[in-house]
Amino acid sequence: MNQDVSEFSSFRDPSGFLFKSEGILFRQINNSYKDDYEHLMSSGLYDDLIKQGLMVLHEEVLYISAPQPSTAYKIIKPQEVDFISYPYEWCLLQFRGAALTTLRIAKLALDHGMILKDASAYNIQFHRGRWCLIDTLSFERYEEGKPWVAYKQFCQHFLAPMAIMAYKDIRLGLMSRLFIDGIPLDVASKLMPFHSKFRFGLLTHLYLHARSQKRYADKAVSEDMKSGKFNQQSMLKLFESLRQTVKSLNTKLDGTEWANYYESTNYSEKAFEEKKAIVESFIDLVKPNTVWDLGANIGEFSRIASKKGIYTIAFDIDPGAVAKNYIQVRQDRDMYQLPLIMDLTNPSPALGWAHQERKALVERGPVDMVLALALIHHLAISNNLPFEKIAKFLEKICKYLIIEFIPKSDSQVAKLLKSREDIFNDYNIISFESVFAQCFEILKKHAIPGSGRIVYLMRIK
Amino acid sequence: MNSNIFFRPLLYLDPGTGSFIIQILLAGLLGIGVAVKVYWKKIVSFFKGNKEDSNLDRLDEIDEYGGDPKISNVDG
Repeated sequence: MNQDVSEFSSFRDPSGFLFKSEGILFRQINNSYKDDYEHLMSSGLYDDLIKQGLMVLHEEVLYISAPQPSTAYKIIKPQEVDFISYPYEWCLLQFRGAALTTLRIAKLALDHGMILKDASAYNIQFHRGRWCLIDTLSFERYEEGKPWVAYKQFCQHFLAPMAIMAYKDIRLGLMSRLFIDGIPLDVASKLMPFHSKFRFGLLTHLYLHARSQKRYADKAVSEDMKSGKFNQQSMLKLFESLRQTVKSLNTKLDGTEWANYYESTNYSEKAFEEKKAIVESFIDLVKPNTVWDLGANIGEFSRIASKKGIYTIAFDIDPGAVAKNYIQVRQDRDMYQLPLIMDLTNPSPALGWAHQERKALVERGPVDMVLALALIHHLAISNNLPFEKIAKFLEKICKYLIIEFIPKSDSQVAKLLKSREDIFNDYNIISFESVFAQCFEILKKHAIPGSGRIVYLMRIK
Repeated sequence: MNSNIFFRPLLYLDPGTGSFIIQILLAGLLGIGVAVKVYWKKIVSFFKGNKEDSNLDRLDEIDEYGGDPKISNVDG
C-alpha cells in the first residue's frame, strides 16, 4: 500500500502523525498518547467540540495498517479541510476569530479536565464558515497546579502578530512568514510603540512575558512551579485576560487602496452586472468544484461561485479588502468562501524544515478554475510581467481560466500609465490572445458592452 | 516515560521557564486586572455611550459562543 508521510508538518509531535494512504488522510495515534486520547473521547470533550463545530470530525479505522506499527495505538481518519491557509495569509479580523476560537477551545477542554497543550495558529483553520481545530491530538489531561503549557505559543502565534498589526501596520501580518513558530516576544516588544505599555494585557502578556523569558532563559522549571500555585481558577482568569486583550486590539478598517475600489471605479453599474452575468455563465458551463479568485478585492465575483456551493478562495493583496470580504462571508454565513491575503507577485513560499512544514501556494493547487478579472493590467503593466510569464503561471495552477483583458484605452490602465513611460508595445489584444493560446485553448470570448473589456473562458492544453 | 517536554530536566535551555513563572506571578494580579477592566469599561461607556462595532460583535459572538447553530462542521 502506498503510504506517504512526507508532506506533513506533524513530524515534531510525539503523540502521533498524519499520513496519506491512497490519497486519503489518516492520523496514527501513538501508544504514548493513549491515555490522553481515551480521556478526550470518554470525557465528553470530543462530543462537545464536534457539536459546537470547534474541531474536525474523525473516525477510528481498522482497515489501514500503521506506518509505524511498533508505536501505534490507533489509526483515525480525520475529516479533511478544503484548503489549508496560514496565519500570514489572514487579515487581523481572521486572526481575531482564530484566537478567540482557540481560547474557547482551551476553556471547554478545562471544563472536561483537559488542557489545550498546543495553541499553534497553524492548527486552526477556517473550515465551512467557521474556525476549527484540525489537530485531534492537541489535548492532554489537566494537572491541577500546573501553568498553561501553551501560553508562550499562544502569545507568539496570536497576540504578538495581532498587536503589531493593530498598533504598527496591518501589513505586518506577513511577519509570521519570517518566524515560523510565532513572533518572538522580545522582537514584538521592541516593535510596539511605548504607549501600548499602558494596556494591562499587552504589558503583562507581551512585555513582562518577554522580560520573564529573558530572565529565566537558562533556568529549568523547578518542582516548586508545578505544586499548586496556579490553580484552575488562575487558569480561567488567564484565558479571560487573554480574551480581553485580543478583543481590545483595534481592528478598524482604514482607507486602504482597494477596499473602496468598487465605489471609486468609473465603469457603470450596467457593465458591472453584465460582467457578472458573463462570469456566471462561464462558471455554469464548466461546473468546477474549486475556484481561486485572484485579485478578488471584496469578493464580488468569488461570491458568484461560492453561492453555488463551489469552494472558492478569494485572494487579494489588500488586507482591507480581505477584511471587508471576510465580514461579508461571515454575515452571509457563506460556507464555501475563504478570503485570504496574497501578493501574486510574491506568493506564499514553502517554509520550515526541508521546506516541508508550510506549503507554497502552487503546491496547494491546482484548482479546477481560476478567475483573473481586472488583474492582467496590474501584472503586465504595474509589475512588468510579460504575457508569457503570466500564462505559464496560470497554466500551472488551474484547469480552466476565466480571464479579463483590459485594453490600454480603459481608464484603469490609463491611470497606471499616467505615472510611467509606456514601454508596453505588446500590451494589446492580438498579442494577448496569441500568447495565451500557447498554453490554453480559448473556448469562449465575450465583450463587456460599453467598456472595451473582454472576458475569456480558456482550458489548459 | 514522562511525555511532557516542559518538565524534562534534560532541557538545558528551556525557553518555557519564563513563560511559566510569569503565569504564576500573574495568578493573583489577573483577577484584579479583569475586575478593574470591567469597571473601567462601564465608566467609559457611561461617558462615551456604547460605540461598539456591531459587525464585530456579531463575528465575535460566533467565535466565542457559537452564535449560529445553523453552521456546523458536519458535511452537507
